[in-house]
Amino acid sequence: MYIILVYDVDEKRVSKMLKLCRRYLNWIQNSVFEGEITEVKLKELVHHASRIMDTECDSLIIFRTRQEKWLEKMVIGKEKNEISNMI
Amino acid sequence: MKKSYYLFNPGRMSRKDNTLKFTPVDEEGNEGVPKYIPVESVNNLFCFGSMDANSSLFNFLGKQQILVHFFDYYEHYTGSFFPKDYLLSGKVLIAQAEHYLQPEKRMSLATRFVEAAAFNMLKNLRYYDNRGKETGIQIEKIESYLNQIPFAETVDSLMGIEGNIRMSYYEAFDIIINEFEMGNRTMQPPSNEVNALISFVNMLCYTLCLDMIYHTQLNPTISFLHEPGERRFSLALDIAEVFKPVLVDRLIFSLLNKRQLSDADFDKNLQYCLLKESGKKTVIEAWEAKLNETIKHRSLKRSVSYKHLVKLECYKLVKHIMGVEEYKPFKAWW
Repeated sequence: MYIILVYDVDEKRVSKMLKLCRRYLNWIQNSVFEGEITEVKLKELVHHASRIMDTECDSLIIFRTRQEKWLEKMVIGKEKNEISNMI
Repeated sequence: MKKSYYLFNPGRMSRKDNTLKFTPVDEEGNEGVPKYIPVESVNNLFCFGSMDANSSLFNFLGKQQILVHFFDYYEHYTGSFFPKDYLLSGKVLIAQAEHYLQPEKRMSLATRFVEAAAFNMLKNLRYYDNRGKETGIQIEKIESYLNQIPFAETVDSLMGIEGNIRMSYYEAFDIIINEFEMGNRTMQPPSNEVNALISFVNMLCYTLCLDMIYHTQLNPTISFLHEPGERRFSLALDIAEVFKPVLVDRLIFSLLNKRQLSDADFDKNLQYCLLKESGKKTVIEAWEAKLNETIKHRSLKRSVSYKHLVKLECYKLVKHIMGVEEYKPFKAWW
């Protein structure tokens, strides 16, 4: 499964959220991540995230797609982080 | 699906916030923009460039069961960081050793490896024979060598037959490959483009097999066809034997015949031939794509990737060793 994850959390919790997401997904823009993930890993991620968040005012949105090839991605302007497994 | 990461640029890999952080460093020692690698998606790391790291990183990688493979400047395999075995099984280990120690049991496994390898090679040759490349002579030669296998009494004589098969097989490379000439197989150092490619992709194949063995209960140092304790983890060499024609050779044919690689991708100074960085990247991309390709598995009745096929091979070997099911090596059926 390929997902895009965006979050909007209070400034106090933003860095925790960032650090958590970095473990599972590729950072592409402020508070936006994408990457290949398994069902179980996603559950794990959501579980950890919900413990950081204050569900009264924070939000986390996940867009999922079966495979990366079903996702058309357009970048306008500077691409902040190119995803590649060759570094 | 976990991915392999290939590190070409020099830099520092470190543990940061329970994930991996890579900081590239240029020639003057200036640090570039750090890149975070999601640790949960890492299967293994291949280090081609120079990497700085400290023990806390390796402790972390060990905990995450991530293997790191190192290669020197000439892209020769130099070794692996092999985390503590997490799938330990004394039973399998003892049975594996027993299969090595008893000559008949060892021969029966070794024979299967050679037969499957030859079968897969013949598949490749026949494929090209049907497409107008005259490989009939080599096919006949290999078939006659195959008939000698039942008469081989020792593993050494079996290895001899295997060598002969491979030599006839490599003879066909010049017929199959359009633009480049291979001539004789030379390894240290490779003398031309085709040899350089074979060495590089073979090495990727060995490390793949090693990776898969790590994720099973098998011990990578006890092998059957190759003599254990020689060179590297020799069980990986045994398993690679079966897959080399399917994964490595087909990839090389298509890379060269579709002109994905050209003269400009090779460095031919100093009388030998090496892949340039651009070439390496093309090869690795194609290799990754190949591994993720799926085929319909006949007995499992579902699609499996080539990568997973190698792991299934390890499972079959475990079953054979434990006496659950006879080992039937992978033979390309299409």
